[in-house]
Amino acid sequence: MSEQELLHAYLLVGGLLVAIGMIGFMVRRNLLVMFLSIEIMLQGVSLNLVAWSRFHHDLGGQVLVLMIIAVAACEAGIGLALVLMLARRVRSLDVVAWQDLRESGVPPHVDRQIPEAESPVEAWPRLPQAGVLPEANEEEELYRSRV
Amino acid sequence: MDTISWLTIAIVGFPLVAVLITGLFGARVLRGASHLPVVLAIAASFIASVGLFQQLRLERATSVDGGRWGYAHVVPLWSWVGVEDSGRDPGLRIDVTLRADPLTSMMQMMVSGISLFVAVFAAGYMKGDRGYWRFFAYIALFVFSMLMLVTVSSFLLLFVFWEAVGVCSYLLIGFWYQRPSAAAAGMKAFLVNRIGDFGFTLAIFLIWLHYGTLDFHDVALEQTAAGAVAVTDPVQVAQLAADAADGSNRVEIVDGVLGRRRIASGTWVGGTAGLAICLLLMWGACGKSAQFPLHVWLPDAMEGPTPVSALIHAATMVTAGVYLIVRCSPLLVANPTAQLIVASVGGFTALLAALIALTQYDLKRVLAYSTVSQLGYMFLGVGAASLAGITAGMFHLLTHAFFKALLFLGAGSVMHAMGNVIDMRKFGGLRRLMPYTHATFLIGALALAGIFPLSGFWSKDAIMGAVHDRIHHLEHVAAGEAHGDDAPAAGEDAGEAAVPLWHAKVYRLVYYAGMITVWLTAFYTFRAVFMTFYGEERVPEEAGHHAHESPPSMVVPLVVLATGAAVVGLLLDRSMVDGTHPFSQWIAGTPSLSLPALAESSQPGQFHMAIAAVSTLIALIGIGLAAHLYLGPRDEVRWLKSFLDLEWFARLSSIDWLLRFRSQGAWGAVERAARRAGLGWFFDGLWMVLFVVLLVLATPLLVLRWLSPYRLSYHKFYFDEIYTWLIVRPMSLVAALSAWLDRTVIDALVDWVGWVPRAIGNMWRGVQSGLISFYALAMVMAVVVFVWVRVCLM
Repeated sequence: MSEQELLHAYLLVGGLLVAIGMIGFMVRRNLLVMFLSIEIMLQGVSLNLVAWSRFHHDLGGQVLVLMIIAVAACEAGIGLALVLMLARRVRSLDVVAWQDLRESGVPPHVDRQIPEAESPVEAWPRLPQAGVLPEANEEEELYRSRV
Repeated sequence: MDTISWLTIAIVGFPLVAVLITGLFGARVLRGASHLPVVLAIAASFIASVGLFQQLRLERATSVDGGRWGYAHVVPLWSWVGVEDSGRDPGLRIDVTLRADPLTSMMQMMVSGISLFVAVFAAGYMKGDRGYWRFFAYIALFVFSMLMLVTVSSFLLLFVFWEAVGVCSYLLIGFWYQRPSAAAAGMKAFLVNRIGDFGFTLAIFLIWLHYGTLDFHDVALEQTAAGAVAVTDPVQVAQLAADAADGSNRVEIVDGVLGRRRIASGTWVGGTAGLAICLLLMWGACGKSAQFPLHVWLPDAMEGPTPVSALIHAATMVTAGVYLIVRCSPLLVANPTAQLIVASVGGFTALLAALIALTQYDLKRVLAYSTVSQLGYMFLGVGAASLAGITAGMFHLLTHAFFKALLFLGAGSVMHAMGNVIDMRKFGGLRRLMPYTHATFLIGALALAGIFPLSGFWSKDAIMGAVHDRIHHLEHVAAGEAHGDDAPAAGEDAGEAAVPLWHAKVYRLVYYAGMITVWLTAFYTFRAVFMTFYGEERVPEEAGHHAHESPPSMVVPLVVLATGAAVVGLLLDRSMVDGTHPFSQWIAGTPSLSLPALAESSQPGQFHMAIAAVSTLIALIGIGLAAHLYLGPRDEVRWLKSFLDLEWFARLSSIDWLLRFRSQGAWGAVERAARRAGLGWFFDGLWMVLFVVLLVLATPLLVLRWLSPYRLSYHKFYFDEIYTWLIVRPMSLVAALSAWLDRTVIDALVDWVGWVPRAIGNMWRGVQSGLISFYALAMVMAVVVFVWVRVCLM
């Protein structure tokens, strides 16, 4: 592989990481997951820097990345502490719990309630009757219905 | 530094220290003892002033060149502003310098001496007041400002303390600020003074423009390695100037406005600019010294505590204007028109204030108008612009300080005993109740009336004599011209020949105004004395049962001041004894007064027997008239009042006399006979016509009555009303209009500007949903848009 192709490959991976992180940040509501998404974006950018640094034979980019990692560690510490405090306040990691900070007069976001399934507990295929009816494991059935 | 410098600093330093001590510790620590630091400081200041006087006398006697050009000692303290001359912009140098010369020394002694007694008096008078410490802090600040005013050696610093004096007067007049009248009087004093100060600032600008410096003294700027060093000592400046002429050193000489070099060379700015400077300075002096047309604040200034009135009227405020004019007399001497205007303003004010004082019932108000009147005399003397006139003006300032402080403190003592009642109609015959106050007040009144041998006699006659000499001089010069003496006169005569003859006529008019004022002064002063201390003994009920002589702390200053008022004239004016005038000889040693033009004018020390006799006679007539009218039953006073109030005039305009005339015997018989003869229609018509004529006449007659001599005087010639309607009301109208414009136009515009961003913000308010994911989406979309635009543009 030529240098050029190598660079493209790395940039592609970096770009993908950023995109994944960005989409993750936008679609997930769990604070921790959002935080992880941000970290992924950051790593994508770092990868970008390393790739360009390698391409240009300039170690400056890699030094910068080392620094980013160090700073990211600090940032993660602070960020997680913040997340912890937020979660303690509302006993939830859901970011929508903080929508009270919106402008007054704006209607709140209400989660669409998924209607309870009316259907009875689905019967699983059973073994043909060969003796006594096996005792139904309710817990297991409930668990299965969710998966 | 030598002794003179130290003494000069000490004189102004002591009161400043007292201000700080009383101001910082008065409320908590000193309280009832707040007067102690102030009295001690002013006493120390007074002692230092006397010491300085002695030192100056010694130095002047031994100095080589103290004789011809006066003696002045300049004490440079520090440089306030020092901008070097950069070649592109001219430099600006303002040095804080004090000076010690005969005029300053005399003013310092007067200010600190009178203030000392006033402060002692106030310690008794103000006892128990809530703002005791505040009062004494203000007093000390007032004395400090006034001492600085007479001690500094630059117009700019003079202006600084000129304003400081104004502020102190505002604070003290409005001392009882809970009383609306006191607060208003303080405001009035301050505002009227500001009008005068405006003229003074303009004068300072003009002086800066035309003279290039604001210092009184000459300065030699010596260029050294460390920068320019200012040398101010007159002898050294002369030496450096001589060296500079040889070219042996690099010295820039700045001639002070009133410096010795300028006096010797006589390079004053003349023409319109010179006249404008003089008149604007006079305008400033008119404000501070309560001369027409800015005299209205002084009588109201009595709303303050009485010691303050004594201080303002005698020592620390109104004398500032006279001092300024005397200090600037070289500028005045160069401008005959300005002299004439100063003298006319003085003479007119003297007469006007005396006329107003005739009918006032408020004891302090009578004294206040007499102050305005006496200040008019001082202006008159200074306006005569001869050495005799200027020194006489200063002499009158000194003697007036004694007897006016005495009179005001006496009035304060009366007020103290009478439960703060000051209306002379409400009390009388106090001479047995308050023997000391009566005796000292009488001495003050005699001095004010100008009775031999009290101090007022000497100073007033010196002024009248100087004006008289001036008239003679002008007429003599004019007569010399008329006799075909058209050969160009040399030197000073050429300047004086330009004075037209009508100046002499104006001076003559002013002189007669002064003479009439002598009579009026004697009359109103003794009217006050007789109404207060003589006649039937009456005490207002406000006084309760404790109408009594004042405590010793108030009586002692009265006695001391009375002694001063009695003997200071005899001590300092020996013109009658041996033709010398120690006071004037001392004052004449001021550089400002050592002008060649003044040296050739009429000299002090000539006793004008005729003038003295005439004015004494006039004064005695005035006193006699007052005694005749106010001792015993005052029926004639009542008649005189109704006569001067034009009551007969009012009666003329009523129809009563017509009806009475008609019913009279002889006329009635004639009319009845005529009616019987069938001529009734004639009489009916006649009465009808007369009735209508009277009705028509009555209106203007009633209006005229408001301008009757009595009412003009009682209502102070309606000056306050005229000012209210001509100046105050239009100004408040303009102010109201401005306020309306401000609120409805300018404020509305500003409000609108503030409203626009709010409105724009409101439009985007709904976007704030509080959902972080949404924000993130918005950011991403924005980035996408930006990138897309960028890509499209490339």
